[in-house]
Amino acid sequence: MESDDILSILIGQIREVVPELVDHDIGAADSMAALGVDSVERSEVLMNTLEILGLDLPMVQLHGPRNLGELALLLKAKCGGA
Amino acid sequence: MAAPDIIFAGIGTACGLGYGKASLIDGLLAGRDVFSVLARPGRQAPDGSTSFIGVEMPDPPELPFELVPKRVARTAGFGARVALAVLHEAWGEAGLDDVAPDRIGLVVGGSNLLAREQVLMAQDYAGRLAFVPPRAGHVYLDSEISGLAASIFPIRGFAHTVGAASASGAVAVIQAAAAIRAGTVDACIALGAMQDVSYLDLLGMRALGAMGSARFADQPGRACRPFDRDHDGFLYGECCAALVLRRADQAGPGYGALIGAAQVADGQRGPEPDGDGQRRAISLALQQGGLTAGDIDVVSAHATSTPKGDEVEAASLHALGLEQAWVVATKSVVGHGLSAAGTIELAALLLQMRAGRLHATRNLDHPHEPMLRHVQGLPQPLAVRHGLKLSFGFGGTDTALVIRGAA
Repeated sequence: MESDDILSILIGQIREVVPELVDHDIGAADSMAALGVDSVERSEVLMNTLEILGLDLPMVQLHGPRNLGELALLLKAKCGGA
Repeated sequence: MAAPDIIFAGIGTACGLGYGKASLIDGLLAGRDVFSVLARPGRQAPDGSTSFIGVEMPDPPELPFELVPKRVARTAGFGARVALAVLHEAWGEAGLDDVAPDRIGLVVGGSNLLAREQVLMAQDYAGRLAFVPPRAGHVYLDSEISGLAASIFPIRGFAHTVGAASASGAVAVIQAAAAIRAGTVDACIALGAMQDVSYLDLLGMRALGAMGSARFADQPGRACRPFDRDHDGFLYGECCAALVLRRADQAGPGYGALIGAAQVADGQRGPEPDGDGQRRAISLALQQGGLTAGDIDVVSAHATSTPKGDEVEAASLHALGLEQAWVVATKSVVGHGLSAAGTIELAALLLQMRAGRLHATRNLDHPHEPMLRHVQGLPQPLAVRHGLKLSFGFGGTDTALVIRGAA
C-alpha cells in the first residue's frame, strides 16, 4: 500500500470520527491538532486506521509526525517492516 | 434568616410511554400497557434461553446540532442520549438559561449505568481486542453521564454521581436539595439516569428471586402487579427523568415544594426490605415537613411487585397510620427503572398533583392489603395538599420525600 492510500484512509477516518469535517478539504500538510481533532478523537482515528491496515502496535510508536503526510509515511514504514 | 423553600421548577422524562412529561401523565392516567418481551440487543441471553419481560422506550429525539455536535452524538450511548433529551426538556422549563452556570449543580443518580453497552462491546471486539476504541477508557466510569451533561449544558457549579441502587434517583433529589440548602448552588438538577441493564444483570436479578415473571410469561401486560395477590417479582422498565430543584424565592412555586427529605441506612447488604428503616425514613421526612401521617393525601409507593417488598411496605404504611392516604404504584405502568425509579416516579407524582388526578395501579385485581386505599380501575380525582414518595434500594437505603402541592 502506498502512502497516498494510507493518507486517504486517515482522512476518511478523520471524517468518520469528526463528521463536522466531512466537507472540509483535508490534505497531507494538515495536522489533526490544527483540524481541531481532540486527543481522544485522534486516538480513535489512529486505532481505526491501524485496524484497517492490520497493524497491532503501541500508540506511542505513532508519536512524532507533524502532519498527516508524515503520519502516512510512518504508517507505510510500519506496514513494510511488519 | 429562614432557608428558602426548595421547589421543583422543571421536569424532563423518558420511559416506555414516550418522551416528555405529557406522554408520561397521559399514559399513566390512561393506564397504557407498554410491557413486552425485551428486544434491545444485549437484553436476552445469546443462547436463546431467556425471554425477559419489561418495558423499553423509543429512540430519543435528535437534539439540535448546535446543542449536541455530531462528533459528540456519535460517541454517546443510548442511555447518554436519553439523558441529554430529558435534561433538555427540564432545562428549558426551569429557566436555567437565566441562572449563572457556576450556581447550577447536577447530581446523577445511578451506578453501572452502561452495563448493556459493555456486554455488546465485549461481543463486538472479541477476536480484535487490540482495537477497542479509546473512549472505552472513560465511558464505563460513573462520570460519563454527568461529564457529558456538563459538556453540553452550562453546568459549572458541580456535577457528580451517587449510587444507591433503586433509591439512586431519590438520593439524587436529596443531595440536590442539600446542595441548595447549603448555599453551594442556587439550582440543582437531579437526574435519575437510565439503568441500561444487560442480560447478565437480568439473569442475576432473576436468580435473586427479585424479578418476575414466571407466572405471566405469556402475558407481559399482566406481569407487573404491585400489591396484587398474584405478584411474583418486579419487571424492568427503561426510564430516565430529570427534576430541576430551585429556590422558591428565585423561581416561584413550580410543581410544589420539597418540605421533607429523609434517607436512612437499614443495615441490609442485599435485596431484603427492612420495615424498620422504611418507617424511620417516613417518620423523619414527615417530621421535617412539620406533618403527621394524617396530612398525607397520596403515597407514591416504591411498590415493586415483589411479594416480600410489597408486603413489608404495606405493613410500614399501615403501622404509621397512612391508611387514609391514596396509594399509587407507578411501576405498574412504566416498570422498574432501578436507578431512575425514584425520579420518574417523583415526576409522575408531581404531574398527578398538578393534574388533580391520581393514576390507577394496573393489574390490581386482588389487593393483598385491602386496608390500603388503592386507586383501582379509573383515575382518582384529588386535590393533593401533601404527597409522599417512597424509594428503597438494595444495599439498605430507605428514602422518603414529602411534597407540598403548589396550589
